[in-house]
Amino acid sequence: MAPDTPLARRLERRPGTLRRLIHRVTAARFGDATELQAGTLTASKPELEALMADPALASVGLSWVSPGDSGRIVKVLDAVEPRSKGPSGGAFPGFVSPARIQGRGETHALRGAAVVVAGFLPRAQEALIEMSGPAAELSPLGLTHNLVVEFEPADGAPWENVDAALRRSMLRVAARLADAAAAGVPPDDVEELSTPGPRSGQGPLPRIGAITGLQTQGAFKDVFFYGRSLAGSPPVAIDACEIEDGAIVSGQYGHPALRNPTYVHQNNPVVSALRAADSDTLEFAGLILAPEPVDQGAKELIAAHTARLCAALGWDAAIITKEGGGNADSDNSLKMDALDEVGILGVGLFSEMSGPDGTAPPLVSPPSTATAMVSTGNYDERLQLPAVERAYGAERFALLDVEASAAMEVPTAVVIAALSPLGWGRLTASGADMVST
Amino acid sequence: MRVVHYLNQFFAGIGGEDKASTLPASRDGAVGPGRKLASALAAEGHELVATVYCGDDYAASERNAAAEILGLVQEAGAELLVAGPAFGSGRYGIACARVAAAASAAGIPALAAMDPSNPGVPEVAPAIAVNSGEASRHMADALTRMAAAAAVLARGGTPGEAEGVIGGASAGARRNTVSPHTAAERAVLLALSRLAGGKQTEIKLPDFGHVPPAAPIADPREALVAILTEGALVPSGNPDRLESARAKHWFRYPLTGRDTMAAGEFQSVHGGFSTVAANADPNRLLPLDVAREMEASGEIRALHPEYLVTAGNGTAVADATHFGVEWAAELRRAGVQAAILTAT
Repeated sequence: MAPDTPLARRLERRPGTLRRLIHRVTAARFGDATELQAGTLTASKPELEALMADPALASVGLSWVSPGDSGRIVKVLDAVEPRSKGPSGGAFPGFVSPARIQGRGETHALRGAAVVVAGFLPRAQEALIEMSGPAAELSPLGLTHNLVVEFEPADGAPWENVDAALRRSMLRVAARLADAAAAGVPPDDVEELSTPGPRSGQGPLPRIGAITGLQTQGAFKDVFFYGRSLAGSPPVAIDACEIEDGAIVSGQYGHPALRNPTYVHQNNPVVSALRAADSDTLEFAGLILAPEPVDQGAKELIAAHTARLCAALGWDAAIITKEGGGNADSDNSLKMDALDEVGILGVGLFSEMSGPDGTAPPLVSPPSTATAMVSTGNYDERLQLPAVERAYGAERFALLDVEASAAMEVPTAVVIAALSPLGWGRLTASGADMVST
Repeated sequence: MRVVHYLNQFFAGIGGEDKASTLPASRDGAVGPGRKLASALAAEGHELVATVYCGDDYAASERNAAAEILGLVQEAGAELLVAGPAFGSGRYGIACARVAAAASAAGIPALAAMDPSNPGVPEVAPAIAVNSGEASRHMADALTRMAAAAAVLARGGTPGEAEGVIGGASAGARRNTVSPHTAAERAVLLALSRLAGGKQTEIKLPDFGHVPPAAPIADPREALVAILTEGALVPSGNPDRLESARAKHWFRYPLTGRDTMAAGEFQSVHGGFSTVAANADPNRLLPLDVAREMEASGEIRALHPEYLVTAGNGTAVADATHFGVEWAAELRRAGVQAAILTAT
């Protein structure tokens, strides 16, 4: 028991731990009331549709599609895991709740469910989720009960407004679904997440942190932190518990397989892997968010700032992730080289762009001096998708101009998060296993 | 068996780059490196009856070049075709590949010899690609392998590793596999291993090769200048269906009679950046307005009457290399001395 001093009383208010209350969703349906009972998530259509009303949207449609269904979602924009802070609110700060400091107290998570928005927006690259067949397990969203939101924009509504309305609607629905679980349903699991503190750095374990790149390339290619784009910001160190409450929300619709949907930010795989090894083989040193600007000079500056910040925080190594295609390879590579310059190890996650036969050079912009890289698989390798009974999101699959439910051959690149830059997936490229340089 | 040999204008003794637009033609018997090939084939009982040749620019950029060359090959009574060796030369490799593929498709067993890195390799099938090495210092070995592979083909067999056949997709190809660990977990393991002194990585640094920059043009006022873009700027409606990402095609569109790229008549279908500003003023993607001013004021002699376009967005390096070889051949044939390629 700490002595009751003014300083000790201050310390009690510091962020330190977050209790993640896991509610497992094993079935989903529509019904009269929105509730979670014995793993079955019931959604009231009229209630949720009313939550999504917005001047920029003429109408919305809701459907459930579950793992194993003969279903395909095309024109996927974003997906989110339902989360709630309980009656006091606070989830998705900057969108659903005021942008106050989050990442403390308790957070309810509906594990196994997602809200998925699908439909046309400009600049969005055609993206799909398979709910069954060989490509289902390549995406985190092929394994969840998905509440699919389809929409018609209002006449004359600017596309930016439609995008913003969809994001707010998706997050409100996600918060509402998790509120239903927070209203007295006991969780299936309780996970205590600790926040890495400013430790001495003198222990025997190496201090390793995560650097998460957020693509910041303007409308439809932007990612939000507490409701605002990180564009123009230097890299920032945050409490890794903040992402649990939806502090990071995606509005980035490029390169589907190389996209980090909000769902994956909420469950940041690098943070999870570092937490799992914390105090065992390493000391989890924290999380840095870095914007991915468009021009080379700004990219170099962000890399230099990131290296400075890691050095100031006493990190020994960093796991560096990106979002996007070849352009963002350079964000990873520049950070790896900048860290190398100040004596910190950078391990970069990259997908390969080796052509359909896997023989082309794998990276667009490799590092110059650093060499520690993990492969999340080849973007160009083809997948055969069987025909499905029902497609959601659109009637046609625009990339091939075929019926959205048809059998088709597609590059791995079109399956959402199949080559997850945040390291969710198990794909790699063969011959890739730990070769010596 | 009656064997016909395909060569480019250089190895056929016609001339260098100044003769690269030479039209397809045929000669009796062996020419240049074909003489050593002929004696090696003769030892196996085959006769090199004719040499068909063509300029590299013509062969790589003229749509019907392979069909025209195949016509000459058939006129010479070919029962087997051998093309090259093209080593690392892109235009020559593409020509050898297309001629061999066309012959094979027409029922004439065929092989083309080139370096495995040559952009022509993907076009050789259904014919056989034989490894020639990267440069002409490997000529003697290349001809020996070509003769050996030709002898196997003549027997109705399938040449293999012993004859230097390029393994195509299987050689060094990287295929997607499923790891027991997620990529994030592997990254943590890799970090720990590296901190302990290990040297591992899952991706070897790629070798993109090196392209020496061309010498500056002596006098822009004497130059025919082309404007090109990988910004996917196409006539509105995208009539030829250029891909927005992972392009497999490029197209040419006329600039004759135009002084500007008018908004509404052209659009960018590029999938990798916001096209709003480009569509509002397509001149900023393809600077025709300024180029016409420079042409009128004599700062450049003339503007090439067409622009070439593809979409540079996730394009495979092999495809991009291929496009580059074809563009260079096309522009050289048109007498273009300088080109401005805008990227996005």
